[in-house]
Amino acid sequence: MTKPSGTGQPKPPATSSSGASSLVTTFFDRPLPLYLSAAIFRLVFLLYGLWQDANSPVKYTDIDYLVFTDAARFVSQGQSPYKRETYRYTPVLAWLLLPTAHVTGNRTLDVAFFSFGKVLFAISDLVAGWLLEKVLAKSMDAPRARKFATIWLLNPMVATISTRGSSEGLLGVLVMALLWAVLERRVTLAGLLLGFSVHFKIYPFIYAPAIVWWMDNERMSPNKTKPTSLSSKPPSLTAKILNFITPPRLQLALISLTTFSTLNIAMYLIYGTPFLQETYLHHVTRLDHRHNFSPYNTQLYLSTSLPLSSSSSIRIEKLAFLPQLLLSTVFIPLVTAKKSLPTSMLAQTFAFVTFNKVCTSQYFLWYMVLLPLYLPQSSFVKNKRFGLAALVLWVVAQGAWLQQGFELEFLGNSTYLPGLWLASLAFLGVNCWILGVIIGDVR
Amino acid sequence: MRERITFVQKEGDSIEPTALKVDGNGLKGPEVKAVREDRLTFALDELPAELKALLEGVNQLHVRWVSPVAYEAVSPLLARLPPGFHLFYTPGSDALINPCPLLTKAFGLDSCSSPSDSFTTLPTDRFTHSTTHQFYQPLPSLKAFAHFARSLLCPPGSPSSCSSRVGSLTAASQLDLSYDTISHTLRLTSLWPYSPQSLSASLLSPTIRTEIGILSQTSPKTLEPHEIGISGLLTVLGQSTTPSPTLFSFPSRHRDSSSSFQAHFLPPTGLHPTLQLSISSPSPPAKSPTEETCRLHGYFTLPKTLFPDRHQLNDPLFLSSKNLTAVRYITPGIDLEAPVYVTSTWGSTLLLELAPPHSSSSGKEWTAEIPLHLRYLPPSLTGYQKAEVPYPALFWACTAEEGTKFPGNPFEKDRVGYDGLFGERTVFWHLNPSPADGKLVNTVKVPVLNLEKADWVGTVTGAVVVAGFAWVVIKLLGVVVMGGKKVGEDKKKKQ
Repeated sequence: MTKPSGTGQPKPPATSSSGASSLVTTFFDRPLPLYLSAAIFRLVFLLYGLWQDANSPVKYTDIDYLVFTDAARFVSQGQSPYKRETYRYTPVLAWLLLPTAHVTGNRTLDVAFFSFGKVLFAISDLVAGWLLEKVLAKSMDAPRARKFATIWLLNPMVATISTRGSSEGLLGVLVMALLWAVLERRVTLAGLLLGFSVHFKIYPFIYAPAIVWWMDNERMSPNKTKPTSLSSKPPSLTAKILNFITPPRLQLALISLTTFSTLNIAMYLIYGTPFLQETYLHHVTRLDHRHNFSPYNTQLYLSTSLPLSSSSSIRIEKLAFLPQLLLSTVFIPLVTAKKSLPTSMLAQTFAFVTFNKVCTSQYFLWYMVLLPLYLPQSSFVKNKRFGLAALVLWVVAQGAWLQQGFELEFLGNSTYLPGLWLASLAFLGVNCWILGVIIGDVR
Repeated sequence: MRERITFVQKEGDSIEPTALKVDGNGLKGPEVKAVREDRLTFALDELPAELKALLEGVNQLHVRWVSPVAYEAVSPLLARLPPGFHLFYTPGSDALINPCPLLTKAFGLDSCSSPSDSFTTLPTDRFTHSTTHQFYQPLPSLKAFAHFARSLLCPPGSPSSCSSRVGSLTAASQLDLSYDTISHTLRLTSLWPYSPQSLSASLLSPTIRTEIGILSQTSPKTLEPHEIGISGLLTVLGQSTTPSPTLFSFPSRHRDSSSSFQAHFLPPTGLHPTLQLSISSPSPPAKSPTEETCRLHGYFTLPKTLFPDRHQLNDPLFLSSKNLTAVRYITPGIDLEAPVYVTSTWGSTLLLELAPPHSSSSGKEWTAEIPLHLRYLPPSLTGYQKAEVPYPALFWACTAEEGTKFPGNPFEKDRVGYDGLFGERTVFWHLNPSPADGKLVNTVKVPVLNLEKADWVGTVTGAVVVAGFAWVVIKLLGVVVMGGKKVGEDKKKKQ
């Protein structure tokens, strides 16, 4: 690992002059205080959730967690997890949560077993945070790396989502592990992780082009002299293509594709068509676009509910995948991956979520895990006011949407037009602007 | 073909035989307050070819229609269902037979396309007396059926009384159409609410055997606790001119609990409306001989515009906070996400056991709440649509004593949906629905997309997405250009 010069030297006296900041410094000096507090933080959330579930008709536990655990129960009885309606995940998730289906007869033990999944998701958070620190430490000293990892580790939103039993935390650790493996040049591990993550939640496929593009000869085998640099002639197109196909790239492609297909074939052999339908095809054929942050939402409601002939409006939603996939799998990786792989992955995820046909706040976690890797060199941190303004805009646009959503959902006011629609367009605008800033920060 | 016409007065009311005039064409009498039930029984051969062909292909077909206008029922004609058109159906050996086209024509339905698309399946492993399929749709009136029945019952040349009698179907509060392969007969039963009416009945056609009864409930001392007694006058038109008195008793499946209830949605309804039931008393029917086995149930027939979430109704804490005990039956496989316009099945059935407060303060009104969820409805020009939700049937289900079955009840009404979810020895003590506005239907105002404002949605959405996309692409180009410059600068420095 190469650290920038100047790290490890004693801090200038200014930072240790005040008691508060010396306390902060001590907190980040060693890993234990941070990880211990992150763990306790989640434990408190978890225990509070158990209390609320046991004492209030309003549940802390996410409805999805009941879906996972019901599916795990079916699996434990030797049945298909897809017997549980709205289970739209890989069977691996239900297998992972098998302990939640374990019943001992002792009430306290049963609650503990049932909470296994939440513990697993919370531990995934911590591991993702630890990997974050490792990746950050490649370009800064450990205490500073931990300081940025805190954005994830002590983030109440992250802790809430995983202790309520949402599986997005698992994705966080998979994606961080993937990035770490790539940066460590562990191609086999990276291929396995990539194949598995795409099997798990599809969207990580967007990282494949960025990683492949990043894995050029200079990076993967810096000691070898490049054949092209010897000749003065510019390389021909064929040579370029041949040059592009390097052993590590082939290895990554082969291993990730093998992992992905093996898992899918295995699941298909075990669970048949419901696996394909629920895990993958559902996302293509679904017509249940209840209101969400996506800019396409209103248009989708309009076009799916009206007979084909009567709607004269343009069917833009049919082309919705174009801006989304062009940005997240072609343009952003091509331009930014070689300059900064973590920032490229952040921008790709941000673009993917922003331009998706369905967008809920759980998806924000997908890019939040990558955020601490970008922030250290971002204009948002360099200019704190600018950063704060961006955060406020992001929150306000969401708040406006949520307010309109509340009026619709709970008061029964027809706010689809123009309220919800305009709020979702404004949110798109804010997100595009932030995305532009992130991309502009790539040097 | 034969006919039975029954007037049922309340307990204690009766009429002197001398007040009635009977001849071969009909019966005439004074005006009384009574319920009227007409029952026509057809042999298969007496039916038109189309109907006969359909019935020959089915195993069981039971239509139960109930008026949305609140009505008073009188013992023993107490069975209640949610208002609307119900179909309980078991196909015959040829499962491809489709009863929908004929039923659509007869009743003016609009959502019955075929059993596989529109019907739900019922649990037949639970009790054998259940049919295999169910269908429902809200249907406020029998106008279409009266028209259909006129062509069926009053061929050209029939007396004008035939047409007017069929026409009076539009005032009925209940209509049953029952067929099964065992009896090989089709029974058409219509019921008019308790109201002042003249005791008059006329022949539909001279060839029909017509029996007329004027009855009321009675409680002789010899009556067993599980039985009800009936007394009154009976006559068969054309056979005698003086009605003969009668007295008989039988166990009845449907009884009156002497409590009442109202149902309404708690405002604001939003997209997750809560139906509140206000029930006049928490106590089981005192008259039931097996009072301690009684459990209060609500049977809900919910059109596809809204649905119950069985996962939400699974948590004991949540249920008890709503004064509910447990879900006893819910249509399996209800889609929890799909909008109405992609849902083809009619909707769902929910049987809930309610949890009355244990307090000794019997006779005190209490409430229970049923959380429901609306589907997306098609856009409209106002931004709102209406979803109509029928009243549930509320009853205390009590297990009758060993050996009690319900043979010999001439007014037996079965295949009412919930009876297939209980054992055969269950007695249903009904609560009387008493809506403030006289309508057994609640309406929810559903927010939908406002088409008036939707003209620019596609264009503007497209434009904003393209603009956002373009902005990001420009920023990317900026990075490319800057990167190029940087490389150039580096080269210059090296030189």
